[in-house]
Amino acid sequence: MSTELLPGRRRFTLTSVLADLALLAWFTFALFPILWMVLLALKTSAEQTSTYFAFSPTLENFGTVLSARGTELTSVDFTSTLITSVVSCVGAVLVSLIIGVPAAYAAGRWKYRGSNDVMFTILSFRFAPELMVVVPLFVIYHQIGLFDTRVGLIWVLQLVTMPLVVWILRSYFQDLPEDLEQAALLDGYTRRRTFLTVALPLVRPGIAAAALLAFIFAWNNYVFALILTGNEANTVTVAITKFLGGGGQAYYNLTAAAAVIAALPPLILALTIQRYLVRGLSFGAVKA
Amino acid sequence: MTTTTDTAVSTAQRLVLDRLYKTFESRNRESFAAVRGIDLDIEPGEMVALLGPSGCGKTTTLRMIAGLEAVTSGDIRIGETSVASLPAKRRNVGVGFESYALYPPLSVRENLAYGLKARRAKNVDQRVDSMAQRLGMTDLLDLRPAALSSGQKQRIALARALIRNPPVLLLDEPLSHLDASQRQHVRRELKVLQREFGYTTIVVTHDQLEALSLADRMAVMDAGVIRQFGSPDEIFDDPDNQFVADFVGEPKINLVGGTVRIDGDRTMVHIGRAGELVTASRIVQHDQQVTVGLRPQDCRTDVSPAAPCLEGEIKVYENLLEFGQATVNVPGVDDAMVVQTPAGHRWTRADPIRFTAAPERVYLFDTETGERLR
Ligand SMILES: Nc1ncnc2c1ncn2[C@@H]1O[C@H](COP(=O)(O)OP(=O)(O)OP(=O)(O)O)[C@@H](O)[C@H]1O
Ligand SMILES: [Mg+2]
Repeated sequence: MSTELLPGRRRFTLTSVLADLALLAWFTFALFPILWMVLLALKTSAEQTSTYFAFSPTLENFGTVLSARGTELTSVDFTSTLITSVVSCVGAVLVSLIIGVPAAYAAGRWKYRGSNDVMFTILSFRFAPELMVVVPLFVIYHQIGLFDTRVGLIWVLQLVTMPLVVWILRSYFQDLPEDLEQAALLDGYTRRRTFLTVALPLVRPGIAAAALLAFIFAWNNYVFALILTGNEANTVTVAITKFLGGGGQAYYNLTAAAAVIAALPPLILALTIQRYLVRGLSFGAVKA
Repeated sequence: MTTTTDTAVSTAQRLVLDRLYKTFESRNRESFAAVRGIDLDIEPGEMVALLGPSGCGKTTTLRMIAGLEAVTSGDIRIGETSVASLPAKRRNVGVGFESYALYPPLSVRENLAYGLKARRAKNVDQRVDSMAQRLGMTDLLDLRPAALSSGQKQRIALARALIRNPPVLLLDEPLSHLDASQRQHVRRELKVLQREFGYTTIVVTHDQLEALSLADRMAVMDAGVIRQFGSPDEIFDDPDNQFVADFVGEPKINLVGGTVRIDGDRTMVHIGRAGELVTASRIVQHDQQVTVGLRPQDCRTDVSPAAPCLEGEIKVYENLLEFGQATVNVPGVDDAMVVQTPAGHRWTRADPIRFTAAPERVYLFDTETGERLR
């Protein structure tokens, strides 16, 4: 065998084998909780605390979670919380895109006095602890009637999704060669047409990546939904924890089943737009 | 403002730059004056080559004319209209971008058509086809930019700039990535198109041959100012200053120190230990220190025995077929001088050589300012 490293052919050296082993170890560590959750979701109540891997699997838990029996146990309709989550997350992402994409373009193309401060402020929504803002929001939401509504949820999830969309897409727009747009401007197109027909199509992979990421962050949000919603507009993240029971019995297997169900929408979404995602996350720029 | 919407020949327009300045302000750095007072008056339908070292402000100047960069002060007029404050799309200027600016998702044909469609031009397809034919790229029309070589991209970028028949055309290094034969072809076609449609054109180039072949007049630029604007003959044969003399010409001009000797009605310049040349300069004084410019091409080696000349010894001789190029050590001159010699005689190392030049080809420059002493 030639020792030369040819493209597409791997050489087995000590370091590469060790690196693979390390990777494998990390994977096991990272994926084990998920495996555990799935196993737990397939166990009956009797087996949930007494077995590890040897048990007779059942899908019963999923049925319980989604049925009236689940609602009885937790006093929340899990199916309707699923719908609330989908509606509010999709809504939040859409609003973030509609406002955030032009904002990201402007931020990527123009520098003006204080433009960095504006960007920093937007980013700070992201790293300010949610608990810090949620109390005043609770008061305000009660006063203006947004408490426990889907609209209110969409509104507050902007704090999570908007900074992501703006910051990710700004770097995409910055990486686009400006000459492309300038050529279009010289040809006689308006700024708006140039944005819509030249810049926007080129950052589609970025939009897909940003939208997915924003969706996942919104989906996983717990604090806002916990404090700002009651029984009407609960989200899945809140609903899952109800199976742990507040003072009553803790249904670990049902909790796991609910968590598995809750993990499905982001997973399905990621798989659907995978094609864009790889390009979106690996290429910052579109090269002519 | 007229907007040409169809194939009609664009009416040539005069292009005037009037004390144009551009200063880039930035927060972290000191502000930088990239263009410092440019005056150019370009005739309708004229083609001007803009030459200058990297970073001297050529692209910045073009971008100001196109409206992609705001002017700091000064004026730009196209025809009778001052356009300095008009948006880019209202100036009707065609630009060939250094970076090609081709739109990746579109085919070459669509790229060319895209520029026409903005102004709702008629018979778009026909115009694309005819332009492609003239620039020899019909076979590229259905490809995407990603599949093209840089030379091909450059030709398409040029076609894209030309296809609208803009009254004013600005080309930034339009041929730099073409190979030698393509370059000649495209250069000729560009010249023909330019004559035919009469675009008033500025073309930035590093290639002096290209400037010579394309341009009616040349502007030599340095550090944000125009150092000389004139016909190629004027630029090469009658440089205004040392920068221009040094920048144009291949091989480079010899620049050596000298001392003026006025001898009756002859002005002589003393070079090195024993060299002497007659010069046509008049506004110099006896004993004045000057910089002497002598082009290798202007040197003659058939010097009569008593005539003033430079004497030296061959260091290197290169036979370039049509002529020879001798690098000569002249006693008392620091750098070796380059002399072009007739093809007949082959020199060898350490041969003695005597050479001189016509008085009007012996340029004197002020040692301080570099201005020509005529
Ligand atoms: N947007 C900008 N901000 C700050 N400085 C700039 C900007 N654009 C250009 N410059 C500076 O202005 C000077 C002139 O730049 P320009 O691009 O016009 O040079 P050029 O003559 O076209 O050079 P080249 O032959 O390398 O293309 C350079 O020193 C450059 O660094
Ligand atoms: Mg340039």
